[in-house]
Amino acid sequence: MRDLAEKWSVPPDWRNATIEVPGLKIGAVAGLHQRLVSGDLAAWAEASGFDGPAVGAFGLAEGMRYSVRLARDLLLAVSTTPFGMATGWFSEGFAVTEISAGLQVFEVEGPALDAFIARGTTLDPAGPPSASATLSFAGIGAIVYRRQRSLRIHVDRGLAAYLWTWMETVAANIATGSRN
Amino acid sequence: MQLFPCPFCGPRDETEFHYGGDAGNARPDGAEVPIESWTNYLYLRSNPKGTAREIWVHMSCGEFFVMERDTVTHKVLSSTALGGEHAA
Repeated sequence: MRDLAEKWSVPPDWRNATIEVPGLKIGAVAGLHQRLVSGDLAAWAEASGFDGPAVGAFGLAEGMRYSVRLARDLLLAVSTTPFGMATGWFSEGFAVTEISAGLQVFEVEGPALDAFIARGTTLDPAGPPSASATLSFAGIGAIVYRRQRSLRIHVDRGLAAYLWTWMETVAANIATGSRN
Repeated sequence: MQLFPCPFCGPRDETEFHYGGDAGNARPDGAEVPIESWTNYLYLRSNPKGTAREIWVHMSCGEFFVMERDTVTHKVLSSTALGGEHAA
């Protein structure tokens, strides 16, 4: 019987996977707690104590815990510490779903970051603010925003290996001065 | 590449959007719907030359909206979110 698994490259060990070329450093971020919140987002902010606006595309996320806007009635809550809140439906009008294992997070930094972004999306990071951080990046749906001086990208875990190979190719092209 | 205006996100690449058909093409309702109404609903499209009102969805954020655009010049005239409280 044919082993179709050979058609796919083996995903790297995310705990120590890095891509490093002149001007660019890419790594996986582990240990983040992530939850999807849908419904009445103002009621959720009040109940959870998540203060500050949810960041949109290329928005700057600050603090130990923050929220990222995905749609009009949907956001992603991110925290470095466990949430002190249950999941499920809340009578205040919102629902909370655990998704930490479903989204792989990458962080990209370095002086060549703008060149990296330009290869991933047509959305101008210096353009007018865009309310939702979900956008087409490297041809797949991704959640993209800034964290300190880095770019953070959340993708479905099943697409993480693809995005990693895409980033390896792009980093190599940037390092060699290729326009691709 | 063309930019389409999502009512929630603002201008985005056209590849993030999906066409949803003519605006106003409501599904016939009731048990005694004439076959002509079903035919109009299922098969006939207005395909105007000039201004067209269409349903689109921004797949990144899931926003459904009505976009008014010129089918000759491709100029987008307006985009309006569907749904009462969000309608602009």
